[in-house]
Amino acid sequence: MIEIHSLKKEYLEEETPTQALRGVTFSIERGEFVSIMGPSGSGKSTLLHILSFLDRPTGGSYKFEGRSIDEMTDQELAHVRNKNMGFVFQSFNLLSRLSVHDNVEIPLLYSDTPPNKRRALVEEAVRSVGLEEKLHTEAGRLSGGQKQRVAIARALVTDPDVVFADEPTGNLDSQSGLQIMEILESLHEKGRTVVLVTHETQTAEFADRIIRMKDGMVESDKLITANRIHRSTLK
Amino acid sequence: MLFRDAFKTATRSLTHGKMRSILTMLGIVIGIASVIVLMSIGQSAQNLILGKVQSIGSNLVIITPGAPSGRGFSPPAAAQGILITSLLQRDVDALRREPSVSAAAPLVSGQAEVVYGNNNKTVSYQGVTADMFSVRNLTVGKGNTFTKGDVDSANHVAVIGPDLANTLFGPALNPINKIIRVKNVSFRVVGVLSNGGTGAFGVDQGNMVLIPITIAQKQLLGISYLNTILVQGNPSYDIEFVKSRITFALRQDHGIIDPKKDDFNIQTQADVLSILGSITSILTLFLAAIASISLLVGGIGIMNIMLVAVTERTREIGLRKAVGATNNDILQQFLIESVLLTFVGGVVGIALGAAIVGLVYFVLTTFFSIGWVFAFPISAVVLGLAVSGISGIAFGIYPASKAAKKNPIDALRYE
Repeated sequence: MIEIHSLKKEYLEEETPTQALRGVTFSIERGEFVSIMGPSGSGKSTLLHILSFLDRPTGGSYKFEGRSIDEMTDQELAHVRNKNMGFVFQSFNLLSRLSVHDNVEIPLLYSDTPPNKRRALVEEAVRSVGLEEKLHTEAGRLSGGQKQRVAIARALVTDPDVVFADEPTGNLDSQSGLQIMEILESLHEKGRTVVLVTHETQTAEFADRIIRMKDGMVESDKLITANRIHRSTLK
Repeated sequence: MLFRDAFKTATRSLTHGKMRSILTMLGIVIGIASVIVLMSIGQSAQNLILGKVQSIGSNLVIITPGAPSGRGFSPPAAAQGILITSLLQRDVDALRREPSVSAAAPLVSGQAEVVYGNNNKTVSYQGVTADMFSVRNLTVGKGNTFTKGDVDSANHVAVIGPDLANTLFGPALNPINKIIRVKNVSFRVVGVLSNGGTGAFGVDQGNMVLIPITIAQKQLLGISYLNTILVQGNPSYDIEFVKSRITFALRQDHGIIDPKKDDFNIQTQADVLSILGSITSILTLFLAAIASISLLVGGIGIMNIMLVAVTERTREIGLRKAVGATNNDILQQFLIESVLLTFVGGVVGIALGAAIVGLVYFVLTTFFSIGWVFAFPISAVVLGLAVSGISGIAFGIYPASKAAKKNPIDALRYE
């Protein structure tokens, strides 16, 4: 599903070129749950932004579902983001004065979903994160954990192939963080691809593969299926 | 994104900052209202002026001496100090023989001091024939008009305007049969005109003195030519046909073969109307142009507030882009917001303008008894709406495109 080869990203910071990614190569198959870990400055967020089509690389190649990012216009990228990708951000990025329903509906506004089908889709997505009671509550009035669940519902409403999560538990207490991770895990169990960026080992271990980054390069890339089996037996 | 959704999104963010939206709109409201008010006042003034001209009757033709000025309007030769003697009584006689002409009334005029007792006033006097009264719809309130007999026998009689009557005799005295002196020639007042005000010929009718043309020519002016001939066309003929018949008759009478050598000038009411109409239209447009300066200021206010909104909502723009909004979607959203602001402002401005116009009408007619015509031109409403809509696009396009061009990741990171 995701294939990157020698991916590079260079920034100009105060006129000195800074290399955030120095040649990253890996691929992610459909249905995988991958954590990208690393200390700050390791390039993990930059990598996620490129993987999720929010940014373009300055070198190397990136193919999503066989299509190269270089061959796609900004409009096509926006279309793929809308149709195939879902996003969960550390800072939720909800529009606080809108209701839960209206926040979750936003991606549908930019899709070709007919207006009469939207309501059911929104309600289903909100139910899947257990917030159906709060459907008409203003997003600004929710707790942090609830906000992130709304953000997940928003990511799911277009039924994307892959969900990208950038430090989704970073702003949450451990209890709420755990809830969020369980939701992401259940998404994966239902067959969705989940790509997560985090610096917390505990969070990263929900995935079945951990890619560690350091100084803009892949330091290690390990499958940890054993962890998952262990955890599910604990449950 | 569907327009319906974009519209909903825009109204939502505008109603969220109600006070700000209202204050921003105020600039446009004032701009549109002033355009409306000034256009309406211009239109009313135009109606007032054109109404006066129309009151002279549509089948009236005015013949003045001197070469035609070709296109456009130029003052009569006599007014430019050029002495033109080409119009004569025999022209009047020739015109009276034309079947397409109902009446032809000659006119001479001058300025003179009019005296009664210790009272005097310098006014313009006109030497006319008896049929001038019917041709110009002049009626007398007191006494009578003078007759054809008075004109033929050069009797010393006069019909005066009501304002002049008041100046000379005051409210108490009856002017009829009093003797006044015009340029030291004695005249017996036989009638007072019923209506005053400025007439269609720019003459102050209230202060006019009408005397038989025979006396005016011989004793006051010492001339044998005419200043003007007023012709009433036969209503069963088209006015343009009447005009061509008059031209033909006068050329024949004056022995003119080359039309370029015409020594007379013919104007119909329609000619005068179109000239005055174009002058007043230019004035109205000029007024509207001045008013639109405030519209410009209002528009800049809109642009300013939209730029602030774009900055404030950078993260929102980033989020919308992240979940699939294209540049056009963002552009559309912000443009709709600014057009909504200006359009609603325009509608309120039109309403406010109408209210002010109504108030002006009420004050002028009630307290100043001016025959003001309430004019609220549809063109001003259409223009107001169009201008407000267009200014929304014009002043919104820069902030909107700024929003649309934002890089999603930078926008999401914006603090």
